[in-house]
Amino acid sequence: MSRRRFPAIFAALFVAAAACQPGGGTGGGDCVVGVSWNNYQQPRWAKADEPAIKKAIEAGGGKYIRADAQDKEDVQLQDIDSLINQGAKVLIVLAKDNKAILPAIEKAKARNIPVIGYDRLIEDPSVFYITFDNEKVGTLMAQEVMKAKPKGTYVVIKGHKADPNADFLRGGMDKAGLKDAVAKGDITIAYEEYTDGWKTENAQKNMEAALAKTNNKVDAVLSENDSMAIGVVAALDKVGLAGTVPVSGQDGDEANLNNVAKGLQLVDVWKDAFALGETAGNAAVQLCKGAKLADLSAPSTLKEHVAPEKGAKAQPFTTPNGTTVQSIVLKPTPITAANLDLPISLGWITKDKACAGAKPDVAACK
Amino acid sequence: MSDVPAALPQQTETRARPSLRELVAATEIDLRLFGMVVALVAIVLGFGLATGGRYLEPANLITLSVQAAAVAIIATGMVLIIVSRNIDLSVGSIVGVVAMSYALLMTEYLPRILGFENPFTWIIALALGLAIGGFIGGLQGFIIAYVGVPSFVVTLGGLLILRGLVWVMSSGASVSGLDPTFQLLGGGPEGSLGGTASWIVGAALCAGIVWLIVYNRRQRRKFGFPLRPAWAEVLLAGAGIGVTLLLVKIANDYLWPAPLAERYARENGITVPPGGLRIESGIPYPLLLVLVVTLLMAFIATRRRFGRYVFAIGGNPEAAELAGINTRLTIMKTYILLGVLCGLSAAIAAARLNGSTLDVGVGYELYVIAAAVIGGTSFAGGIGTIPGAVLGALVMQSLAYGVSFMGFSSPVQNMIAGIVLIVAVGFDSWNRRRAG
Repeated sequence: MSRRRFPAIFAALFVAAAACQPGGGTGGGDCVVGVSWNNYQQPRWAKADEPAIKKAIEAGGGKYIRADAQDKEDVQLQDIDSLINQGAKVLIVLAKDNKAILPAIEKAKARNIPVIGYDRLIEDPSVFYITFDNEKVGTLMAQEVMKAKPKGTYVVIKGHKADPNADFLRGGMDKAGLKDAVAKGDITIAYEEYTDGWKTENAQKNMEAALAKTNNKVDAVLSENDSMAIGVVAALDKVGLAGTVPVSGQDGDEANLNNVAKGLQLVDVWKDAFALGETAGNAAVQLCKGAKLADLSAPSTLKEHVAPEKGAKAQPFTTPNGTTVQSIVLKPTPITAANLDLPISLGWITKDKACAGAKPDVAACK
Repeated sequence: MSDVPAALPQQTETRARPSLRELVAATEIDLRLFGMVVALVAIVLGFGLATGGRYLEPANLITLSVQAAAVAIIATGMVLIIVSRNIDLSVGSIVGVVAMSYALLMTEYLPRILGFENPFTWIIALALGLAIGGFIGGLQGFIIAYVGVPSFVVTLGGLLILRGLVWVMSSGASVSGLDPTFQLLGGGPEGSLGGTASWIVGAALCAGIVWLIVYNRRQRRKFGFPLRPAWAEVLLAGAGIGVTLLLVKIANDYLWPAPLAERYARENGITVPPGGLRIESGIPYPLLLVLVVTLLMAFIATRRRFGRYVFAIGGNPEAAELAGINTRLTIMKTYILLGVLCGLSAAIAAARLNGSTLDVGVGYELYVIAAAVIGGTSFAGGIGTIPGAVLGALVMQSLAYGVSFMGFSSPVQNMIAGIVLIVAVGFDSWNRRRAG
């Protein structure tokens, strides 16, 4: 008896397995969204972007699958192959390199799989671009810092040279009036340098060189992100300038928001990654349902502090190389000691972590 | 010193006018090491000329030396690893793990047990960090020596595993805000010895140099070895003392920056004199650590049984084993030692940052191996010196700092570092072949 039962069980398993094959059969509505992550080097990806994307996809009845390229261009190409083979109907790609990624985009195009470029630009007209206004991030940094120090000696710590964001941000700073202030002679930029790999230690070394070069006469520092701002503040602290020299940053890292409360960093431009992930996941679901790129729109649940300045509908966006892509561009939020309560109330950071050792006059920490 | 005249004729009677080469040989200076010193001085002076002397200001020289400290300390241990024909690619990741351990210990775990501002926090954290480094090193060493997996593979695995571990430890967040005493390990004016103590250290070093030369001479006479000519002894002592005092002078010429001095004056109720408060910084603690580690490691490598075993294994592993050396244990010990040194280096890196981020230590392995190799360590095994590796680290950092100081961008800096690596090693092999 029992011996005879085995073949039956195997047969049943086999049928079940065949039915489960991704892409197999015509079971409509299986909206598999493949997300190719460049890396998890910065805290935000796993903490906010990923869960928000996943939640939005699942809310739309889709399925989330992922791959992590560990900061390597070639691994990312393989990852995208693998996601396609796993039956992804829409791809969301956080590209390590905006050009090296193109062969993978071609493959997706050949199979009619729409691609969303997440947070980083991909130079291809068929790729939908969802991001924060990076130039605006630079503008907000410079605005806040120049409000605090309208005149004096500035240091600019820029990001990785091959990352187009580094130059977007720098361009945004000029739009805030930095260029004019330099031309008028109000502001002197004593030191400006790219930072290999956006690394904290390299930013610290650059800042130390800047201090040595200027004999510690630095009035303000524009650092293009938070992990570099940690290195900048450490270098300033060694010469007794931390807390008196305004420093900028972006990403809303916990240690940096805490530094804002402590007065060590003036402004942390925060890109609410929950909102970005929600927008991307929501757009992926719309694409699954057959929406055209130009018809996509941001979810109606987006809050005021991130709402796109040009409205919820997809807008054409011209890249630095002159390609026009469809895009949704969210608005970044500058966080200073005055509005530190916003990331706390949205659950981005706990009050304990944000407020440890805070200066007594920070309202959010009272 | 009464026998000095007796030694002189013995050396000089062969030829009336010895050539420069023979004169240098008489001092018994390690030519390769001497070449490195010359190269370092040439680089520093070269950048000095190119920047109108600004590169030579104490602030720059001190900053670049402190920037080289973390790599230099690991490089002293890497020498022993490469000498014994192994490699360690995981050092950067070990630094990452230990740096994150320091940060978490001092911000989360220890305060829970000891409370904040406990005077023992930093020392307990440091001891635990060094132990973690030693343990990781020992584990990898065990797999290499006893299980027999090639070191390249084990430590390549270690590089990936440990870098992932850094992420897991902090759930991907930067951690900031270390114990104030611990922060002093990172240098800066407050993390320096101060003027007086620096002169004392300098004087002690000078006395050490003189003692070493006298002691060596006595030992040689005792065992009937040929003596160095007296002029060479005096020259060596003079040069050693001169360089030591010059370096201390440079460190002391680096004054506390005005904002820091003012804060210090405010906190201690000192009235600032009209010209500003002059406080000499002196030797930064990280450089003091480099000095101590270099001396200790050089002693271990050349004067202790363990060090000689390492060189014997590197020269000929089979012969070493047949001679009764416990090669496996020796190899494992080299990895434990390197792990502890990574822990120390991580302390400097974390103290400098006043915290830890996910990318602390990324890429160190390349700089450390390059420093050892530029310093004359041979991948063929059996050859390498500790001071050479430290000089190698300084050469690389003075180049990187100088190139950045002159405003070249980071990709150019990497290209120059690569070229220097190949040229240095190429020149060395050429020189060695010529010497036969």
